[in-house]
Amino acid sequence: MSERQLAETFVELADTLVDEFDVVDFLHQVTVRCAEVLGVSAAGVLLTDQRGGLRVVAASTERTRLLGLLQQQTGQGPCTECLHTGRPVAVADVAAAADRWPRFAAEACQFGIASVHALPMRLRTEIIGTLNLFGTEPGLLDEDTIWLAQALADVATIGLLQARSIRDRESIAEQLQTALNSRVVIEQAKGVIAERRRLDMDEAFALLRGAARSGNRRLSELARAVVDGTETI
Amino acid sequence: MGDDLVAQVCAAAVAVVHVDGAAVSMMVSPTVRDALHATDRVSGELEEWQLAFGEGPCVDAFAGGGPVLVADLSSDGCSARWPAFTPAALGSGARAVFTLPLQVGAIRLGVLDLYRTRPGRLIPQELADALGFADTAALVLVDGAAGTDRATAGLGWQRDDPATHQAEVHQATGMVLAQLGTSAESAFARLRAHAYARDRQLCEVAHEVVDRRLRFEPDPPPDDHDQE
Repeated sequence: MSERQLAETFVELADTLVDEFDVVDFLHQVTVRCAEVLGVSAAGVLLTDQRGGLRVVAASTERTRLLGLLQQQTGQGPCTECLHTGRPVAVADVAAAADRWPRFAAEACQFGIASVHALPMRLRTEIIGTLNLFGTEPGLLDEDTIWLAQALADVATIGLLQARSIRDRESIAEQLQTALNSRVVIEQAKGVIAERRRLDMDEAFALLRGAARSGNRRLSELARAVVDGTETI
Repeated sequence: MGDDLVAQVCAAAVAVVHVDGAAVSMMVSPTVRDALHATDRVSGELEEWQLAFGEGPCVDAFAGGGPVLVADLSSDGCSARWPAFTPAALGSGARAVFTLPLQVGAIRLGVLDLYRTRPGRLIPQELADALGFADTAALVLVDGAAGTDRATAGLGWQRDDPATHQAEVHQATGMVLAQLGTSAESAFARLRAHAYARDRQLCEVAHEVVDRRLRFEPDPPPDDHDQE
């Protein structure tokens, strides 16, 4: 990754923040860029549901099994540990972590994931979620790449919380819950489109996102319109 | 309609979240609402003010899709945000109001309104509990509207925590919506009724739908009790 490409990535993400933007779409874009820039095979963002769990809001690919693997960490897994300790968690060899997280390790290995990193999304003293990075080869990311990954996690945090001016803890709670519900709307819309157009879920997501882009619409607004039946894709 | 279940949820919320009153309203739009239950006079009045003035935390929560948490109604921002509601609510005796939307993605059902006579924010555990009660109330309304019977619904939410819903449950809702040509709310209720009638977990049924091993057929008349 050249410095020029890196600079372009941050400029592109910052540019998204200037306009009225969609939080879930923005976080999706962050995860796609993470996979490219950090050289990992997949990336995902999980947010705290403020009830002790984590929920997936965005992933670099919408393949159902990846979403499932991300989501499975609620309760046990690198992201849950990261959420609770507030510190990055790095797993060089998932297979060797079967004692710590048996279900997660088994599922990850089945999916061809060999290494995992989880980085905290931190706002002052509060951890609001984690950025999850999956690699198909065992080993740890080097220090510079980790630093870059944390910078992207910080950008994700800024994007999430900028949607409304964050004055206090109440606003964070309001924003997190809104983002989590937007994600549910998108899943519902994926189902509608997948059924009508005979598509897989990731194809349905691509179609939805493409339609939002080309129509200059916010992703979750268009998703809601699809579910409400006021628009068809 | 599960009104007594709604009353139970409100009573439990008052006890567990440490608030002075709770109310649930069904809403079909930000300003069209039907107060189902209020635990006390103040809660009832808060619902009335919001209905009368067409403004307030519940109007914003319903429109915005997220909670509206107001630790102190007498702070400056509130009277600017809700010029009619704020003085009326203070006059009724409320100092803090916490409104949680009752929703599942695009399915918007109403709001759970909580209030306190003293100012102060919800601590994280109270917020977690409040969110849990809102999820429970949302399911009561979904099942109530679909006519799923009370015993089944009661059993339903013991083993069906929406916080743990997999993405597939929501995807399946969208697919069933398209199969039946119905609303998201009806599709979700049909999925739930199907699972409970067969003593199966919702996520298993959802997985079969997403895997295209299970389809739902429209049955005349729509919204009939699901006894298949």
